[in-house]
Amino acid sequence: MEAEVVLASSPTDAGVSCWDLHTGAEHLRYKSCASSPHGLASVAGRFLASSQLRDRKSSSGSILYWSWNKPQVEVRSFPAEPIKALVSNSQGTYIAGGGVSGDIYFWEVATGKLLKKWHAHYRAVSCLVFNDDQSLLISGSEDGCVRVWSLFLIFDDARREEARHLFEYSFHEHSLRVTDVKTGYGGSNAIIVSASEDRTCKVWSLSRGKLLRNIVFPSIVDAISLDPGEHVFYAGSRDGKIYIAALNSPVTSNSNYGLHIIGSLSEHSKAVTCLASSADGFLLVSGSEDGMIRVWDTRTRNITRIFRHTKGTAQGPVNNVLVIRQPQNLNPRTSANSPVSPLRRHGLTLPPPLEKFANSPDENAHAKVFIGPQTTSNHLLDSSYISVQTMEAQIKELQQQGSSAAAEVDIERLKSEQLRSVQMIQQWKKMYENLHQFCVTELLDGTHTESANGPNL
Amino acid sequence: MAASEGMYDVALKPKLLRSLLREYVPDERHPFSNPSELSYVVSTVKTHNLLSEWASQPVEQNVMDAWKSAVDSWVHRLLTLASSNLPDKRWAGICLLGLTCQECSSERFLSSYAVWLDKLLSLVQPPVVSNFVKAASCASLSDMFTRLSGFSNAKKDGSSQATRVIQPALKLLNEDSSAVVLVGIAHYSYVEAAIVSKIMSGKCCASVLKKLGYGLSLLPKSRGDEDSWSLMMDKILLYINSQLNDAFQGLEEEARSAQTMRALLPSGKEPPPPLSGLAASERTSDLSTRRPERLLGSRISTLMRCCCDMLTSSYPVMVPVPVCGLIALAGRVLMVDGSLSSSSYSFMTTLKQEFICSEIPLLQLYSLEILTAVVKALSSQLLPHAAGIVQLLNEYLRTCRFPDLKIKAYSIVKVLLMSMGIGIAIHISQDIVSNVFIDLELPVGEKDGKSSGVQTKSHAGLLSESSQRKRKHSIMARSSQEQPAHVHLEVENTHSLTPISVKIAALEALEALLTMGGSLRSESWRANVDHLLITVATNACKGGWSKEERNIFLSGDPTPTWADFQLTALRALLASLLSPGRGRPSHLALGLELFRRGMQETGTKLGEYCGHALLALEVLIHPRALPLLDLHSSVNDFKFLSHKSRDTVYPSVDRQIPKYQAGTLGKGPAEPESEDDDLNENWLGNDDESEIQVTERQQNAHYTTDPSLDELPSVKVATTDNVPEKNETTVSASGPNDKSMADADDNMSESPHFRNITNQRTGALESVELEPVKSDVISEVGRGSTSTSAQHELETKNDGFTTIVERISAMFESDNEVSNDSLPDIVDGDPDSD
Repeated sequence: MEAEVVLASSPTDAGVSCWDLHTGAEHLRYKSCASSPHGLASVAGRFLASSQLRDRKSSSGSILYWSWNKPQVEVRSFPAEPIKALVSNSQGTYIAGGGVSGDIYFWEVATGKLLKKWHAHYRAVSCLVFNDDQSLLISGSEDGCVRVWSLFLIFDDARREEARHLFEYSFHEHSLRVTDVKTGYGGSNAIIVSASEDRTCKVWSLSRGKLLRNIVFPSIVDAISLDPGEHVFYAGSRDGKIYIAALNSPVTSNSNYGLHIIGSLSEHSKAVTCLASSADGFLLVSGSEDGMIRVWDTRTRNITRIFRHTKGTAQGPVNNVLVIRQPQNLNPRTSANSPVSPLRRHGLTLPPPLEKFANSPDENAHAKVFIGPQTTSNHLLDSSYISVQTMEAQIKELQQQGSSAAAEVDIERLKSEQLRSVQMIQQWKKMYENLHQFCVTELLDGTHTESANGPNL
Repeated sequence: MAASEGMYDVALKPKLLRSLLREYVPDERHPFSNPSELSYVVSTVKTHNLLSEWASQPVEQNVMDAWKSAVDSWVHRLLTLASSNLPDKRWAGICLLGLTCQECSSERFLSSYAVWLDKLLSLVQPPVVSNFVKAASCASLSDMFTRLSGFSNAKKDGSSQATRVIQPALKLLNEDSSAVVLVGIAHYSYVEAAIVSKIMSGKCCASVLKKLGYGLSLLPKSRGDEDSWSLMMDKILLYINSQLNDAFQGLEEEARSAQTMRALLPSGKEPPPPLSGLAASERTSDLSTRRPERLLGSRISTLMRCCCDMLTSSYPVMVPVPVCGLIALAGRVLMVDGSLSSSSYSFMTTLKQEFICSEIPLLQLYSLEILTAVVKALSSQLLPHAAGIVQLLNEYLRTCRFPDLKIKAYSIVKVLLMSMGIGIAIHISQDIVSNVFIDLELPVGEKDGKSSGVQTKSHAGLLSESSQRKRKHSIMARSSQEQPAHVHLEVENTHSLTPISVKIAALEALEALLTMGGSLRSESWRANVDHLLITVATNACKGGWSKEERNIFLSGDPTPTWADFQLTALRALLASLLSPGRGRPSHLALGLELFRRGMQETGTKLGEYCGHALLALEVLIHPRALPLLDLHSSVNDFKFLSHKSRDTVYPSVDRQIPKYQAGTLGKGPAEPESEDDDLNENWLGNDDESEIQVTERQQNAHYTTDPSLDELPSVKVATTDNVPEKNETTVSASGPNDKSMADADDNMSESPHFRNITNQRTGALESVELEPVKSDVISEVGRGSTSTSAQHELETKNDGFTTIVERISAMFESDNEVSNDSLPDIVDGDPDSD
């Protein structure tokens, strides 16, 4: 199983704490973070971003970035207004933020550009979530409204003018502010679950755009977590209990909480403010106002681990928990040892801060998109070697005997043979000459000696 | 050890190698007759890893020594062969050296690659004339660099060595372009100039051009920084644009060029220097061009392909992609249709128009390639630009008539749909559907009027619309006189003439649409599409299953066969069946039949797919998950009813329901029954309206019966519906409050009272108490729906009873209408009235 880490932050300035979910070991604590509810996001596991609660005096908001291996804030952005909910898409390309005025801001992470800003709700946007294929944005607001936005439409100027409204759906059934929204798998058939201060959770059908199920809880639900198999969902409520509500599971319980509520996890003394589930769905992590983070085994419904967010005796509440896969360069010691890790060199330093205002359309016409280095495996494939292929092709050519290249080879061979033959001929000639010479000399010598002898005789 | 391992024995390897050397590798003395022996050598070496000098287990030193010496002599032999003066032996030596570079151990490679490099380099230099030898040396060199790039410490050395290669390689380029691109080359500008001038000269054949384009795209990699990449991209794009200015003069609006230019180059920004090597090539090429347009086509398409390569191949750092420029450029090419624009008769000769028109399809193909590359490279970052691409493609698909181009366009649509998800699917579905309908329209003869009455009408609508568009377009373009006639002809003929490949592409696009957004806002097109797909699939499979075999002699280009079409049609059909729509898929039975038949084609891809499809469809028939909606609609009903009858009692409906149900809950697994209900309802539902009726009625019943323990839905209805009658007579029996009753009797104000009673009741009591009633009801149903039983004297009973009879008769698939008519029905009336 891949290592997962739990991240937790609080509205008081207690930083972001980080533990290994399975071993319980504490990692680095990221400093100076006072996050707003739903305001903590891991941007595709590359870095950590959080929208900050600000004092009322300042009109602008604040979004901070931390890289995994440094406790200090690395990048500070100051959007035009305080941002409540903050979410990034799974590839880490975009960050969406919901402002207190009800506007949604949509930034490109790589450039920090504010690509779009639109008025989404009448009151502050309290939660934001991308659907599973990252093409829809679902927002919940303090005005009790849950809206579904198609990002394609948001960016399509022509269609946007034709359309009567910018949203795909607008669900008005909640009577009080929406506290959390989650969505499940299934593309266009997915469900959306929303929780509200009206003490209900509502399950919506994305494909039909209507209410599927309404579940009334004994107390206000502030956090929802969907079981990965969507068998049930967990609802963390202000009475300190985590209720288990049925989605696809049979309603068999004799629980006395209400219809569709098949049980509860309870140990918290104070309100549950946030929930997160591990990837396999067996562990549920809850954060509470008492400053504790509890890890539950969903099969046995027991607590397996408790983390304390605040140090010492301070009882700061927790308002965000995240469970993410362990980032590669989380551990500061190992990354300090390797002086220039390849990741850093490849431009994985943090992106620039998010811009406050959108660009002029003229500038947008020249917008450039950065494509990063693809992580190709360094494995050499056999197919990248070509000499054998070339050889096979050439053998074929040779055997066909037709091609000019093959003929060339033949010619050259013949040439060299001819050369050799010529040399041979030369040699033979020479030998013949020599022999001839020899014979002649012999003969002449013989006659000479004979003639020389003759007179002697 | 040696004996036990047989052919895996390490000791065998040096022996094998030596025998190869002895028997097959040519040597100095003997003539080299049969080149195919080389491939045997290669395959043996590769299979047995004869050169690896590495064993999985530790082996004795003498074995390793023997191996080492064998490899030594192998290398020695190759080097002598490579310096032989007989070209065929030299060639053999070079080829095997290439193999050695790939196969030998790292230590050996690192220690001796310098020597080999010298050898190979000497073989590409001038005194060597044989092209064969040169090509083989280049291939071997390339392998050597590939291997070298695997060693990080040797890379630096390698690149310095590589600089020595460039000069000969460049020379070679000018003579024989089968020289393979060497990666990691410095001497940047020289190479750029050489490649560009080569492309421009227009003397190369297509495959070489392709390689040259690829080489150009790899050039920035040798520097590996952001600037050189974007500089190269800008240079290429600007050059393409300027070439297009010449080509499209008179074929498009004048403003278009400036517009594209603006997208490519922000105003006020200095344009980059032109591609080096251009000037030289202009001089040479001007002399030799007989057909400038042909040259233009090949130049631009090569450069466009180069853009695609730059976009898709990996690059070590982040680079900025000029998306808007790329899209604008592609759009510029795609929007040209070859007709003359109004202002330009004087500029354009007919001859030139003809030439350009012959090149446009090629240019458009590569523009589509660029779009594909953009979509692929940007993935999620495409979002802000998706709208532009979609608009472009829609317009293009509407006008395009070339099958290859259509296929490309459809494939981009498909990729877009898959990568951008349902957010895009909601908005572009209508456009895709209308385009696909045109391409998939069946030949007129095959339409049977009965089943596709509505269908044909809608097609006709779509068609006339599209032809209108076309006509409008052609009028706008002020085409020559024969154009309208042509359009007309086209509308009549395309459908029967649409090639299979286009149909396949269209079906794939449709499948992607159904996969992503088949159930989201699809009311307007879904029924038509479902019908179209079942018709297409039925027709495709009508003539039996075609064999998958391809003509192996015509290998290489995979032209789609009829079997491919069948498979695609079935895939799209499965998507249409699985993607949840408003009701039960109306063509499920036919689809199942097709898949069942297809599955009998054992051993084919189609059979395999049909098996998969049946597996997937099984869930549709026997649903496992509990329907979320079921309870909801009952809640809705309840809400509705209660609003009417007892608003005053329960001000907040939402609160009230759960309490009520919580009381009656927990008596056991009611789920199988609810599934049954769902199933029944599915099977009964023929069209939407009747389905809604049935659903509501059943869910009324379902809602009330859900908590109880009984076995059959019908039985439970009996029990619950019987209750009111008892209410009136005996208070003690007061069963679970029935919604339909509450609805019927507006004065049922005592229902809170009932609720309390319900809460106190136990399931056991209920079942015991109501058992006899059940049998009564069943027997009655057996007798017939119209006969009122003698056992039930009270008039009030009729109300409850009607619903029982009706429901049971519905269960048995008897005619709903009859029972509705014959007996007063209260359940249907109210839900439908709103």
